[in-house]
Amino acid sequence: MATVCRLLRNKCNFLSKNVMRAMSNETRVIDPHEEKIVESHTERDTIIVDRNEVLASITGVPEEHIKTRRVRIYMPARNSMQSGSFGLNRWRMDFDTRERWENPLMGWQSSGDPLSNMHLEFKNREDAVDFCERNGWECYVDEPIKTTIKPKSYGANFSWNKKTRVSTK
Amino acid sequence: MLRLWPLARNCKATKALASLARCSSTGAPAKVEVFVDDKPVQVEPGTTILQACAEAGVEIPRFCYHERLSIAGNCRMCLVEVEKSPKPIASCAMPVMKGMKIKTDSEMTRKAREGVMEFLLMNHPLDCPICDQGGECDLQDQSMAFGSDRSRFTDMEHGGKRAVEDKNIGPLIKTIMTRCIHCTRCIRFASEVAGVDDLGTTGRGGDMQVGTYVEKMFKSELSGNIIDLCPVGALTAKPSAFTARPWETRRIDSVDVMDALGSNIVVNTRTNEVLRILPRTNDAVNEEWISDATRFAYDGLKRQRLTAPFVRNAAGQLEQTDWETALVKVAQKLVQVPGEKVAGVAGGLVDAEALVALKDYLNKLGSEALCTEEIFPMDGAGTDLRSNYLLNTGIQGVERADLILLVGTNPRFEAPLFNARIRKSWINNELTVAVVGTRVDLTYDYDHLGDSTKILADIAAGKHPFAQTLGKAKNPMVVVGSAALQRKDGAAIHRAVATMAQNARVQSGCGDDWKVLNVLHRVASQVAALDLGYKAGVEYIRNNPPSVLYMLGADEGALTRDQLPKDCFVIYQGHHGDRGAAMADVILPGAAYTEKDATYVNTEGRAQYTKTAVTPPMLAREDWKIIRALSEMTGNALPYDRIQDVRDRLYDVSPNLVQYGAAEDANYFKQAQELAAGISGKLEEKPLTPSLLNLKDFYMTNSIGRASQTMAKCVKAVQEMP
Amino acid sequence: MPLLDLAQRQHGWLPISALHAVADLLKMPKMRVYEVATFYTMYNREPVGKYFIQICTTTPCIVNGVGCDVILDCIQKELGIHLGETTPDGKFSLLEVECLGACVNAPMVQINDNFYEDLTVEDMTRIINDLKQDKIPKPGPQSGQGHRFSCEPKGGLTCLNTEPRGPGFGIRADL
Repeated sequence: MATVCRLLRNKCNFLSKNVMRAMSNETRVIDPHEEKIVESHTERDTIIVDRNEVLASITGVPEEHIKTRRVRIYMPARNSMQSGSFGLNRWRMDFDTRERWENPLMGWQSSGDPLSNMHLEFKNREDAVDFCERNGWECYVDEPIKTTIKPKSYGANFSWNKKTRVSTK
Repeated sequence: MLRLWPLARNCKATKALASLARCSSTGAPAKVEVFVDDKPVQVEPGTTILQACAEAGVEIPRFCYHERLSIAGNCRMCLVEVEKSPKPIASCAMPVMKGMKIKTDSEMTRKAREGVMEFLLMNHPLDCPICDQGGECDLQDQSMAFGSDRSRFTDMEHGGKRAVEDKNIGPLIKTIMTRCIHCTRCIRFASEVAGVDDLGTTGRGGDMQVGTYVEKMFKSELSGNIIDLCPVGALTAKPSAFTARPWETRRIDSVDVMDALGSNIVVNTRTNEVLRILPRTNDAVNEEWISDATRFAYDGLKRQRLTAPFVRNAAGQLEQTDWETALVKVAQKLVQVPGEKVAGVAGGLVDAEALVALKDYLNKLGSEALCTEEIFPMDGAGTDLRSNYLLNTGIQGVERADLILLVGTNPRFEAPLFNARIRKSWINNELTVAVVGTRVDLTYDYDHLGDSTKILADIAAGKHPFAQTLGKAKNPMVVVGSAALQRKDGAAIHRAVATMAQNARVQSGCGDDWKVLNVLHRVASQVAALDLGYKAGVEYIRNNPPSVLYMLGADEGALTRDQLPKDCFVIYQGHHGDRGAAMADVILPGAAYTEKDATYVNTEGRAQYTKTAVTPPMLAREDWKIIRALSEMTGNALPYDRIQDVRDRLYDVSPNLVQYGAAEDANYFKQAQELAAGISGKLEEKPLTPSLLNLKDFYMTNSIGRASQTMAKCVKAVQEMP
Repeated sequence: MPLLDLAQRQHGWLPISALHAVADLLKMPKMRVYEVATFYTMYNREPVGKYFIQICTTTPCIVNGVGCDVILDCIQKELGIHLGETTPDGKFSLLEVECLGACVNAPMVQINDNFYEDLTVEDMTRIINDLKQDKIPKPGPQSGQGHRFSCEPKGGLTCLNTEPRGPGFGIRADL
């Protein structure tokens, strides 16, 4: 069984390059006649690899950053400062926060963590989990907190026998 | 000439009405189908167009509309075209009708939005570069998306843009009123959610201003939320003014520990510093709000911190040292004394991981003396049955309740968002509230039954008229504040409350899934500590004087030096140099809640975790790791090396501690009742008085709040400003 | 709002303490009272003189009769104050307002509760002089435009000047 791994190239710069290079030997590009894949813009960028492929050993990521890292996969929460919801409907992965220290001379903050700025976004949870598993990262998934829409009415502001009547009109 | 309606038609109308009535009385109301950009969507009748669009996945731009406030309909940004309607329609206020065809991206809609945008920008200053909202401003984004690239407002001779004087409404909220676009969200929040009717619009037309009219402070424990609500930069946070741009910050989802509710927050950090704290929507806990202590006490995380281990030297002075020295000193002491002479006290901000590590360690040493600072009656079933000490109905349960009795608590300051929930239910669901305890301003009306404990006994015995009211209610709730249980007669109070709750549960026939008894805790660690089997209250330690006392973030002064034996060796582990550190012989610097991956269980028993947002300062370390290191030094190493192992251990002790996001039900009320029958304590005469009575008491309830300058300013402002 | 009006009649204007008293009386938040009091321009939130002259300077008053401009000049000359000011003795205040609904009898001023209409410079001078002696002149149309009773046309009636027709007028013959 083959699975599809979409690599967002602009997002994960160095990793994807490594992955691409590493996979070029073993990747089977599926014959369109065989699998009936409709040729499209996105699918031309698709590389199909076996599910069991573990890339951790060939990605070039130092072992320290594979074995000891935990990845959190979640859907980002809406910024409470804004009402817009663009960009919330996708799954993100974050690494655990590593130590930062202050440069004694200038007071700048340093970090020895090359992954601290790596935020990948995925269309669904399975893709994200797959990606982490194949890269050897231990991951856990946070279920998104759902909110329900309750019908509201403008008329409630003016109701005569309920406390929903507002004094601020 | 008088014309009569034809009789036949009249009859038909009556019949039609009758059949309509029949239809509506059977079953749930049918869903209405509307078309959003030709995409059919089924919504409940009475939904607004804007909500229907949200259901269809189309977001309508808006300024004044807010999911959790009443509808105002005054910004007009949400105008959409509806087929067969000659004018664009304000979608936030218009209910859907069957078969409505809504066009959210038509020529008319776009033009309407552009027009509204032009009007809004006419009087909006062009100071985005110096505005704190820049980068997360609704007006900025929406003018980019929907606005025109030029304005026809070029009338500079006529006086130019409107300018409004800034208001001073306290030390938390900075106002730049020229930027205000009069969406009235802040006013509606103040009036509806906070229950403090201090904001309003004065003047009319071009002179309209949002403000307080007279200069006064916006005195609310939820005031910070209007900063979030403000779609422009008119209301911004004073403590974090001009510190960072939103796109520079890292956002880490976390959980608050300032009260026992565990509000969901997002910690914004940059350069290893917490810059601000924002709420994260969770309907089950905090909706979309957080209290001011949650939002603004973060500057306490940078002050008064314990950044290195300290050891008290021969001269009696605490001396800074390194980890090895401190741990060796502690280990030597622990090895010398017999295991049962070691005791532990946990404070209010400690996470479950540290609690379980300390418990395992002290148990290994042979001690059972593990207590929490916060008292909870241990008589009867005590803390053995979870149902005894949880907010069983849940925070969301308040919205289903129809009667709530508050006993010896002031939820407004002990758990501001719980109080906001009660207020919400009081407004929308006609919730009746009754209070036994000191009369306080709860922002809603309530029946004050008195403040004497005798009333509790009367209600429990069914002698008080309120007992009938309680029995008649469909979904009653009885909430007892943990402040009331701190008293000597706490057990008797708990018993009385549990009895009346059980009676009400039987009489009202509310079924097994509705729970009546609720305990509202004040500190974040308490439920986890009780789940782990800590003894509530330090009575045990007082009765069995220890030789070594391990204080884990215990800062509330439950145990003082003179209550301990003279030669008692005190170890303090925590993050702030507060009361606990002052009496310690060795100080081990720990991490605060923003600096560790930690589990907290809120008052309803919901396990949630914080994430490391910044690293602990200097030599401070995560708490469970310190205990783990210490255990290795004394030769009985704890069997966990990684946070996952600690959580596995938590799972072994009590699985609910690691079932994140869920609140595990507790359901042994009857058994608890039977066990409680043996309680002999008597109710005391003292009136029931909650610990936090006024707004000024609210800001400094723990070591972080006490270290925070912002909180100190708030206390000062509350006392000085009108 | 009637309470605010009462308070204003009691004081001559509305101090904040009066707003608070109204709020307490009605058991409503003070802010809501401020909102009302600031919204309506007829609530004076600053002290005004004993005789509060509001002169209408909207279009019909500018163009009709002698025009409000000359009336305004006259008042300013008589009292020695400008628009929005109060005389030093606290007797008169002058304010420019928009249409007061007496366009037919323009130009007009409102002094406290009374309308003085059909004004000329002479009328205005007389009214002010009377008021200076605390005599209240007769309100309504003044002499300047031919002693009108009310707002009837200046040149006599132009309609309704015949006898009214009896019942049944203009009805079909077969009814």
